[in-house]
Amino acid sequence: SAVGELGRLAVELLRRGAAPRACETAARKLNTGVDTIQHGVEGLMYLLTESSKLMISEIDFQDSIRVLGFSEELNKLLLQLYLDNRKEIRSILSELAPKLPSYHSLEWRLDVQLASRSLRQQIKPAVTMKLHLNQNEDQTAQVLQTDPSTLVHLIQQLEQALGEMKTNHCRRIARNMK
Amino acid sequence: QRFRFCGDLDCPDWVLAEISVLAKISSVKLKLICAQVLRELLGEAIDYEKILKLTSDAKLESGDVKATIAVLDFIFSSAAKHNVDGESLSSELQQLGLPKEHATGLCRSYEEKQSSLQESLRACSLRLSQLDSVSWRVDYTLSSSELRDVGEPLVHLLLRLRGGTAAAVPVAVSADKFRVLLAELKQAQALMQTLL
Repeated sequence: SAVGELGRLAVELLRRGAAPRACETAARKLNTGVDTIQHGVEGLMYLLTESSKLMISEIDFQDSIRVLGFSEELNKLLLQLYLDNRKEIRSILSELAPKLPSYHSLEWRLDVQLASRSLRQQIKPAVTMKLHLNQNEDQTAQVLQTDPSTLVHLIQQLEQALGEMKTNHCRRIARNMK
Repeated sequence: QRFRFCGDLDCPDWVLAEISVLAKISSVKLKLICAQVLRELLGEAIDYEKILKLTSDAKLESGDVKATIAVLDFIFSSAAKHNVDGESLSSELQQLGLPKEHATGLCRSYEEKQSSLQESLRACSLRLSQLDSVSWRVDYTLSSSELRDVGEPLVHLLLRLRGGTAAAVPVAVSADKFRVLLAELKQAQALMQTLL
């Protein structure tokens, strides 16, 4: 049951970060020092993250912890802890990968320039865009301007890029990934 | 099939799915919900509690309530965007499966607020920066480190911008340059008047 408590603390550590008060209460309940508890929890967390990261099979996990010389009951508890939490730990780990700024939204407007200080009687259409991007909760915006023919070219390029997904090459790779 | 209120494109699948949820609410309650959604589109706060009470009879889940608000939001703003009149909107919604009573009530609420909606959409269209105010001051330079008797007037302008960055741009202009600036701006203003 003590191991169960430490296991729960380890998973909480992964989900939310350090919880010193919880460690202190656990230390008092189990009659050991706070440092011991902390090391224990961190060790368990490391065991769980490494196993989940490598997606270790049950047998490999059991063989690995057998080396530590714990009782059979304890080994079973640890295995259960691993299997129960593996999926969640993997989803937390997947969010730790570095991210590029991602698309949030695009505002646009279509204007026609009719005259300027240097030249009257013009007809010059232009599309102005504000590209809103998100990167790790930071919001940035880029203002871009283009004329209609460049915009058509841009659309063609993007449609070509989408079209790539349908080529045999991409289809083959997508099939092999499943 | 193409729909005018979707900008002459196909109706999005999620809108089609949510219209069948709208049919579950009574047409009277739907009109009240429309009023709430229109208030929010016009910039006032939405009374979510009220909407929850109005949808409680139809026994919608919380996800369905939010989807109802989202689909009404889409219908109103998209119809206003493409300048669709109430009649056409009503007939298109009926084609998508919304019962006649519901469509009529919805479109009546839409027609009442159509021009205010379009005004508010116009106001939040993309704009790079907006001039908020201009303050000015005329100084007279007596002397400088380069020349003992300068004796020239100088105009200081402070252009304040509206919006996010809210910068203030200080500009100092000599008398001659200022006359040129004023003449050019008056020409631009005359051009704008011909377009109004």
